[in-house]
Amino acid sequence: MRLRRMLAVWAAKITEKASVHIFHRQGVTWAGKIALRICPSILKELAGQVKKDIFIVCGTNGKTTTNNMLCAAIEAEGYRVVCNHTGSNMLNGVAAAFALSAGIGGNLNADYACIEIDEASTRRVFPHFKPDYMVLTNLFRDQLDRYGEIDITMNILREVMQSAPKMKVVVNGDDALSAFLAMDSGNEYITYGISEQVIDDRDSHEIREGRFCKRCGAPLQYRFYHYSQLGDYACTGCEFGRPRPDYDGADIEMGEGLAFTVEGRRLHADYKGFYNIYNILAAYAAVRTGGIDAGHFNAMLAGFNPENGRMEEFGIDGTKVVLNLAKNPAGFNQNISAVMQDETRKDVIIVINDNAQDGTDISWLWDVDFDRFKEANTECITVSGIRCYDMGLRLKYVDIPAMLEPDVEKAIRERIANGCGNLYVLVNYTALFGTRNVLKRLEGEK
Amino acid sequence: MTDVTGKKITIGHLYPDLLNLYGDRGNIACMMQRCIWRGIEAETIEFNTGDAIDFTKLDIVLLGGGSDREQAIVCRNLLEIQGRFKEYVEDNGVVIAVCGGYQLLGKYYKTNAGTIEGLDLVDIYTEQEEGRLIDNIVLQSDLADMPVVGFENHGGRTYINDNKPFGRVLYGSGNDGKSGYEGVVYKNVIGTYLHGPLLPKNPQVCDHLIRKALERRYGEAELEALDDCLEKRANAYIYNRFVK
Repeated sequence: MRLRRMLAVWAAKITEKASVHIFHRQGVTWAGKIALRICPSILKELAGQVKKDIFIVCGTNGKTTTNNMLCAAIEAEGYRVVCNHTGSNMLNGVAAAFALSAGIGGNLNADYACIEIDEASTRRVFPHFKPDYMVLTNLFRDQLDRYGEIDITMNILREVMQSAPKMKVVVNGDDALSAFLAMDSGNEYITYGISEQVIDDRDSHEIREGRFCKRCGAPLQYRFYHYSQLGDYACTGCEFGRPRPDYDGADIEMGEGLAFTVEGRRLHADYKGFYNIYNILAAYAAVRTGGIDAGHFNAMLAGFNPENGRMEEFGIDGTKVVLNLAKNPAGFNQNISAVMQDETRKDVIIVINDNAQDGTDISWLWDVDFDRFKEANTECITVSGIRCYDMGLRLKYVDIPAMLEPDVEKAIRERIANGCGNLYVLVNYTALFGTRNVLKRLEGEK
Repeated sequence: MTDVTGKKITIGHLYPDLLNLYGDRGNIACMMQRCIWRGIEAETIEFNTGDAIDFTKLDIVLLGGGSDREQAIVCRNLLEIQGRFKEYVEDNGVVIAVCGGYQLLGKYYKTNAGTIEGLDLVDIYTEQEEGRLIDNIVLQSDLADMPVVGFENHGGRTYINDNKPFGRVLYGSGNDGKSGYEGVVYKNVIGTYLHGPLLPKNPQVCDHLIRKALERRYGEAELEALDDCLEKRANAYIYNRFVK
């Protein structure tokens, strides 16, 4: 079958080369699709050539950042790693990551693989290979039109965990839903979490998932929340409760950057946003659980640039522009917190699309606490994208006036010309690529 | 200028601890703001599972959507309040029930995992069938001059017997994907699969609920017109994209 695999690898490489610059991630997906069409067993064969372990990353938020960070951390220790960096995380994207990493002889030379997988797609990927480790970051409501309900996502994940009984699960123990899944699966699990209270979250009206014990149905009681339903919980009806974390992030510092201690190591990162502590902690816990040294972890963090629209900075004509992806209420609320960490005057553009990959149902916008923008020292909020009218309405009903401009480029140009020099652009999924291209181009023009 | 002095609307939000899918908060915000902008006092009281509910204090009841599993938990609580809820409905109390809440209005919801007993407030029933009906949806309804737009996502098919539907389907599936109708209207109760959320893009439906609630409590209601430019644009966008 080697010849067939070689052909598949070549075809994938050619497809990617020819299309990725125009079609971006879609090009990667096509490459995977063609590779699987030519050689249906390519994913199984190439995954089998990974010399050491395969990590996968699942969970609603933080997949791409965590997975790319995990890959960078393993590479920093001197290993070769296969990774779906672009975040193409369905079956075709996963196949593409392996096919594009293979040599022209059709063989893979890699020590590890770090693969993020869309939760619903795990069912299609697992028949091809069984990972050694699954990192499970969190479970929030997201794209309900695609997944139906969060319970359905949990059932899928339970099923795939049980189909790979030797796979160890590295789980965010602060999330009762994820922790329950890991415990309930029968798989061996390792937890990470943050045991100290960092944010006073009592007054938040955030919608919280899973207030009831998944084991017995009784209400969960929280000592505190970090955000959304993440926090220190215990069931009022049975023994279920937050596991003591194997990897505990302590002495958290948040200011210009982030810092915390785990396993006696002080880790520093240059980004904002409390949620990034979880991303770093998840990557760290996975590296250590995999028995890999983490001696270069800080050096990796210092050089880590996601360059994928996660708090990515641009300089355009004297305006500092920060681009950030937010695709569901939990992510958006965290983004608003990150914007508010910057107390200076600012403009904000919110871009909302409703393409298939965004989830065509945008009712989640009403579960985001946008009223907090009243306290965010904003000069002007512009709403843009396919569903800008809905976004405008959302703000209207919390008495926040907004400027309407469906065209993203026009909205950005207007704020660069007339704004206060400090611009945040918050976008949902399919708006990310177009917006990022506009920003890169404008940065280049000057 | 209509005299609204001393007028107040109290909204009861039932079981937000369990039924809070699909931006139900938007429906609350919409009803509250459209009262407040007119100088009508408005208050929302949240009732979590197990809380006692005094229906005589309420002018509008909102029953939102939840997952099937959560609905089964709610249903245990609902049976305790069934009698008083039924009196409220028969006394022309205003109810807006969305998605899972709509299904709970009926006699039962038969799922593959078992039958969830409903409130039996309206003579309708729901049965789970193959495939979920998921898409944008546009209706023509007697309750509004504008089209009614929203999003539907349900595995259950609801059969409304001889009751009046909420609207005729112009785009989308509706109650069962076959009848061409969506939702149910019984007295001052509206049951519907439309979220999105329903009310912000359909301000006339929202005002209908407020008007009925004021009429019931104060005997008369004339609502001052609001500037609905943005609401109309958001509504027209959906209509033009899927129907025109």
